[in-house]
Amino acid sequence: MIPEVGHLALIAHLVLCFFAGIIPLFGIYFRNQALYFSCKRISLLLFSLVSLSFLCLVYSFLIDDFSVAYVAQNSNLNLPFYFKFAATWGAHEGSLILWIFAMNAWLLGFIYLTKSDDESFSLVTFSIACQVMFAFSLFTLFTSNPFERILPIPPINGADLNPSLQDIAFTVHPPLLYFGYSGLLIPFAIAVSAMIFQKETKEWAASARPWALLSCSFLTLGIALGSWWAYYELGWGGWWFWDPVENAAFVPWLLSVALFHSLITSQTKGLFGKWSVLLSIFAFATSLLGTFLVRSGILTSVHAFALDPERGLFILGILAFFIIGSLGIYSLRDFSKPTTEKYEVTSKEFGFLLNNLLLVILAVAILFGTIFPLIYEAITDGRQISVGAPYFEAILFPFAILLGILQGFALYLSWGSTKSFTFLQRILIESVSIFTLLIIFIYVVFSSFNFSSFITIFLSVWIAMGTLQITQRFKSNYWEFLRRRAAVIFAHVGMAILVLGVAVVSNYSIEREIILEKGDSYLLEDKQITFNSMEDKLGPNYVSKLAKITFMDQSSDHEVITEKRTYFPSGQPTTEAGISSNVVRDLYISLGDNLQTDIWSFKVQIKPFIRWIWFGSIMIALGTLIAGIKQIRRS
Amino acid sequence: MNPLRKQRLYALIAILLGSILATFLVTSALSENMNLFYSPTEIKNAEISEDILIRAGGMVKEGSINRDINTLEVTFTVTDYQNELEISYIGILPDLFAENAGVVVRGRLNKDGSFDALEVLAKHDENYMPPEIANLLSEEE
Repeated sequence: MIPEVGHLALIAHLVLCFFAGIIPLFGIYFRNQALYFSCKRISLLLFSLVSLSFLCLVYSFLIDDFSVAYVAQNSNLNLPFYFKFAATWGAHEGSLILWIFAMNAWLLGFIYLTKSDDESFSLVTFSIACQVMFAFSLFTLFTSNPFERILPIPPINGADLNPSLQDIAFTVHPPLLYFGYSGLLIPFAIAVSAMIFQKETKEWAASARPWALLSCSFLTLGIALGSWWAYYELGWGGWWFWDPVENAAFVPWLLSVALFHSLITSQTKGLFGKWSVLLSIFAFATSLLGTFLVRSGILTSVHAFALDPERGLFILGILAFFIIGSLGIYSLRDFSKPTTEKYEVTSKEFGFLLNNLLLVILAVAILFGTIFPLIYEAITDGRQISVGAPYFEAILFPFAILLGILQGFALYLSWGSTKSFTFLQRILIESVSIFTLLIIFIYVVFSSFNFSSFITIFLSVWIAMGTLQITQRFKSNYWEFLRRRAAVIFAHVGMAILVLGVAVVSNYSIEREIILEKGDSYLLEDKQITFNSMEDKLGPNYVSKLAKITFMDQSSDHEVITEKRTYFPSGQPTTEAGISSNVVRDLYISLGDNLQTDIWSFKVQIKPFIRWIWFGSIMIALGTLIAGIKQIRRS
Repeated sequence: MNPLRKQRLYALIAILLGSILATFLVTSALSENMNLFYSPTEIKNAEISEDILIRAGGMVKEGSINRDINTLEVTFTVTDYQNELEISYIGILPDLFAENAGVVVRGRLNKDGSFDALEVLAKHDENYMPPEIANLLSEEE
C-alpha cells in the first residue's frame, strides 16, 4: 500500500510538472493573464508530492518491505536501521528520487526567498525548472521506478547494501552532492528565462548569483566528503583517484566556481553577459553529463552501479533536449546591445576573465580525458584504453599554478583599471622573503626537496598572504570589514590550506608494505609499529578479523585497530583501516593477507597534512555558503 | 587603438594562449599516459614492446594463485578461456581479488611472455566484472 502511495505521488508530481512547465509559456506567448498562476503554491505542492514519495520509499526500507524490488536489492534484515535509512539512496533508483527532491527544494527556496518585481520572469524561470523536473520524473518512472514490486512471492530477505557503503560518511555524501548538482538547475533556468525576456545582464546575474554560490558550496562539501570516505573506507589511503565519476563531479565544480566569479562581473558591471549565460547552461549540462556517465555504465568506475544502456540513452536524450533547446534560444537572442564598460589589462574584469578562462579550459581538458576512452574505442573499432591519474595530474598542475598566481593578487585589482600597485609590490617583496624561508624550512623539515613540492607550497603561502593582506585596508573597523569580506577570506584562505595539504601529502607521504608476526615490531622512520594481537569479532552483519597495532615514537604511543570484515549475506570482504591522526599527519595502517598462522601482511602509511585538504574544503564551502546567503538577503 | 578593440584583443590573446597551453598539455599527457588494454589472446598474437605500460585482464584461474609467504610476492594466471597469461606482483592484493573473479592489471610484459604487474585492480562487488572482460566473454558466446 505505502509503496503505491509513493508511486502515485511521483506520478502526480510528473503530471503537475508537465502542466507547470508549459502553461506559463502559453500564457506569456498569448499575453493571457488567465494562464498565469502562483508559483508559490504550485512549488509547495510539488515539493510535498516528492517528499511524500521519498518518505514512502524510506518507510519501505525501514519496515523491510522486500516485496519492493529496490528494497530487496539494497537492504537486509540484519542491516542497522540508520543504514536502512541511508540505503534509500544506495543505488540508482533511490538516488533519482533524492535528486528530484533536491531540485524541488532548490526551486522552493528560489520562489520563496527571492523577491522579484517581475512576475512573468520568475514564472518562466519556474516553468523551465519544472520542465527539467518533468524529464527527471519521466526518466525515473519509466526506466528506474523504485516502487516496482516483486509479486506474488516477495523474497524473505534482501540482498544487502554494498558493505563499503555501510558507513556514516556515505549517509551524507550523496545527498550533499546531489544538492550541489541539482542546485545548478536554478542558474540554468534563470539564464534561459533571462534570454527569453531579454533581461538586463545586471538584473538576471543578481538573481542567479546566490544559487550558483550555494550549489558550489554543496558540491565542495559533497566532493570533500566523498574523498574523505574513500580515504578511510576503501582501505588504500588514497584520497583522490581520478575515477570518471570523481571527474564528473569535479568538472561541474570547476564550472560552478567559474560561474559565480563571472556572475560577479555580470552583476556589478553588466559585462560577460553572454558568457555567463553559456556557463550557466554548461555547468548544468555537465552535472547531467555526470549522471549519464555514471548511470549508463559506459565508463569503468567504482561508482557505476547501474549498467543499463537504455537509461544512458534516456539521460542523453534529456541532456540533448535541454542543451540544444537552450542553445537554440541563445542563438535566436539579440545580443547586439553594445557594452559600455571599458577595462584595462590590470583590471578586476580582466582578472575574472583570466580566472574563467583557466577554469573552463581546465574543465574541458579534464572532461576530455574522462571521455577519451569512449572516443578512442569508437574510432579504433573497439580497442580499449584507460587514461590514468598521470594524465590528469599533468593537466592540473600547470593550470593550478596559473590559477594560484592569479588568486594571490586577484583581490588587489580594482574595477576598470588598477592604479595603485603598492599592495602588489608588498606581496611581491614578502613573497620573495617567503620564498627564501620556505627553501630553508622545507629542506630542514622534510630533508628532501623537489620542484613540484616547492612550487605548490609556495603557491599556498602566496594565496594566503594575498588574501589576508586585504585586512590591512580596513584598520578602522574590523567588524564591519569582517562582515563585508568574511566570505571571500574564508574561501580563498581555504583554498590556500587545501593547496598546502595536497602539496605536502602528494610529495612527502611514506608507504610500506610489510610482513609482521604477532608480537613483532617494525621501524618506520622514528616510529615503532608493533603487531600486538589478533582477535575475531562479530558485528551486527559481519564477522571480522581484528588486529591491534601500536605506534610508538619518542613522545607517545597509541593503539589503532585495523580489520578485515566479511559481510553476510553477500560474503563481500572489506578492509577497515586503522588511522591515528593529528593536525600534521595521519598514521594509516591496513590489514593485508594472512600468510601463515599469526603472520599477516600490513600496509603502513604516513600521510602528512592530509587533514588540511578536507579542512580547506570545509572553509571553501563555508565561504561560498556565507556569500550565497548574503546575496539572497540582499536581493 | 580604440579601447574596446584593445580590450577584445587582450581577451583574445589570453584565450589563444590558454588554448594553446591546453592543447599542448592534453596531447603530450595523453600520448604518455594512455594504457591500451589487452586480453591474454591479444597478448599472444600481438607484438608488444617491453617498455610500454599496458593493461591486461581476464578471470583469475582456479588454483593458480601462488603466494610467497616471506616476501609478499604473488603469482597467478588470468585467462580469457582461450589463452592464459602468467602474472607476478609484489604487494598486498585488493580485497576482492579471488579465484574466478575478474581482474585488471597494469604493468609491463616480459620477454618470456610473463607479465609484471605494478597495480592490480579488482573492484566493486562480487558480481562486478571489468567491462573489458565482460566484452570478451560475451564475444565468445
